[in-house]
Amino acid sequence: MSAKIKIKYKKKDIWLGFWLILPAVMAIFITAFFPLLKTFWDSFFSFGLRPGIPKKFIGFDNYIRLFHDTRFMASLVNTLIFAVFSVTIEFILGLATALILNANFALRGIVRAAILIPWAIPTSVSSQMWKWMYNDQYGIVAQILYKLGWLAPGTPILSEKWSSMFAIMAVDIWKTAPFMALLLLAGLQTIPSELYEAARIDGASGWKQFTKITLPILSPTIAVALIFRTLDALRVFDIFYIMNKSVETLAVYNRHILMDRAFTGAWFGYGSAISVVIFLIISIFAIIYMRSLNLKFE
Amino acid sequence: MKKLLVLTLVVLMAVIGMSVKITMAAGAVGKELEVLMNQIKMFNEIYPDIEVQLLPMPNSSTARHDLYVTYLGAMTSDPDILMIDVIWPAEFAPFVEDLTDDYDYFELDKFLPGTVKSGTVQGKIVAIPWFTDAGLLYYRKDLLEKYGYDVPETWEDLKKVAADIASKEKIHGMLFQLAQYEGLVCDVAEFVHSYGADFLDANGKVIIGDADNHAKLVKALTTLKSFIDDGVAPKGVLTYMEEETRRPFQNGESVFLRNWPYVWSLANDPKQSKIAGKIGVAPLPKGDIENGRHSATLGGWMLAINGYSSAAEKDAAKKFVKFLTSYDQQLYKAMNAGQNPTRKAVYADPKLKEAAPFMVELYNVFINAEPRPITPVYTEVSDAIQRHIHDFLIGKKDVEKALKDLESELKMITGQ
Repeated sequence: MSAKIKIKYKKKDIWLGFWLILPAVMAIFITAFFPLLKTFWDSFFSFGLRPGIPKKFIGFDNYIRLFHDTRFMASLVNTLIFAVFSVTIEFILGLATALILNANFALRGIVRAAILIPWAIPTSVSSQMWKWMYNDQYGIVAQILYKLGWLAPGTPILSEKWSSMFAIMAVDIWKTAPFMALLLLAGLQTIPSELYEAARIDGASGWKQFTKITLPILSPTIAVALIFRTLDALRVFDIFYIMNKSVETLAVYNRHILMDRAFTGAWFGYGSAISVVIFLIISIFAIIYMRSLNLKFE
Repeated sequence: MKKLLVLTLVVLMAVIGMSVKITMAAGAVGKELEVLMNQIKMFNEIYPDIEVQLLPMPNSSTARHDLYVTYLGAMTSDPDILMIDVIWPAEFAPFVEDLTDDYDYFELDKFLPGTVKSGTVQGKIVAIPWFTDAGLLYYRKDLLEKYGYDVPETWEDLKKVAADIASKEKIHGMLFQLAQYEGLVCDVAEFVHSYGADFLDANGKVIIGDADNHAKLVKALTTLKSFIDDGVAPKGVLTYMEEETRRPFQNGESVFLRNWPYVWSLANDPKQSKIAGKIGVAPLPKGDIENGRHSATLGGWMLAINGYSSAAEKDAAKKFVKFLTSYDQQLYKAMNAGQNPTRKAVYADPKLKEAAPFMVELYNVFINAEPRPITPVYTEVSDAIQRHIHDFLIGKKDVEKALKDLESELKMITGQ
């Protein structure tokens, strides 16, 4: 193992380094930390953007109110259901795809590029596209489901809660499983083939190779991929907002509070509290992933 | 040489100092943009010292709303002129210029009264009507003739006629916009008003619980739902917005359609429509009760002036708004962009009669169009109506429960 080498910097160099990174640090502070802190701060106040509504400190009242708000709780549950199911399926599909694509076969490059297409289309565009495919009059997906007898002809897919939820999950999985696959594929390619060779000589089965070599070495990549996807899934907005906004997620409900109610009453602090809750939920997930996959950022 | 340079500089600065630049947030696609650009050119022939810059807005009205909330919430002085939906004046009133004293300047007495009312918030005028919209009934003239029907007068009549023709032609009977969005409120308001009922009264009081009104509301809403339950309207209407109903209609897949005036020119365009020339248009039917009335929801767009703009900018903005809403310009817009004038006199213009006879014929619908509730909390009121009525229409709640939930939520929102 390599010993840690301590480099001694001259004082002048330290100052130079400081000045060089200062603009970047300031940019990050202004664009990332300041809004975050401001949101935290605002979440303890009751105020609106309409003139004449005084800004009042109310402590944790916004947070307490949140848990009595049935609409907020419903959107929380919707978001969690969506995140858990779609990320799990995306992960399984993504991993399977990555393992297949890691093998050597003709036209591998083209196939790899091709599977990325769904991910490359902007979400708002693909949501609209799928909304049309789900349409009961001219949507191809709807027609197939009617023909198969899985749905009574004429049943709109995007009107009721659960059919909408499954339909939206399907779009999300279609869209982001390739992204998951690509991330995992990059991780797979860093595993030296000698390890598998040695395992084969020792007589390890394919499954054993997978669980003892592939998974452990891949786990940091898995953690990064899961964090990325879970984070995205928990703040999901565009797919739901475009396809059926009656199934509310946290972000869709938050838009309603911050935009529709910005000028109607003292709702801005309440909206900030929702933002903070989304932030906290995402942090909790990130910590769980890092702990359980033994990932340390150095 | 030096003197000359100084002199040119001084002259240049004087010219710049005199000219004003104003920005206008407006729809920025297709015909609408083209017409507006021409109007700016015409305006500059009269006022060469006012430069008008367009700030293109997204097509979705909710997206526009959210942008305006961001601009006005941040108290920025741009855009100076805001193109706003008829349902927003009350919400934006504290942020935009009070134009009450300019009533005569804009000649508002010559406008359709309903449109002026939409821009009036607690007695103050905050927005000038630019073009107007109203819900209409489109029907297949050829099919009604074929089966010997007149244009139905009441909703029950419409249902019978639609069901009969639909079953014989194997197409849909009627199409509405009943996805959970603003359009649902427009369609539902027409039903509710046609039965003489309402959710809020003129003073913003929640009147859902009033016995007589409640009975009429139940009648109106159950009639609407029966269109879907009886298969006259496809279940899909619960997910449709305007365009999802226009396309099947102009493909010949429905006998009737409720939609806005913009459909007329598109559905009569043989390049894209299968039923060009076979369409009739009429006021929406009456409720099936004594004193039932034809009702059309008032739509359209208005122009407001940003309250945070400088005095010079406001002054220039007023001139441009007056120009755009003048008789000649409304006529020009109506003939070239197909958008309905807000000045009464334009409808009598022989040039318009020739270019868009349909607009002139429907003058009575436009003059009687009914606004949605005028309240600063409109977006919240609308959101509540959308959710509870949609729940009723998809069968998640019965009508009593939906109305009860809506009543208590509206009371909470309006603080009653």
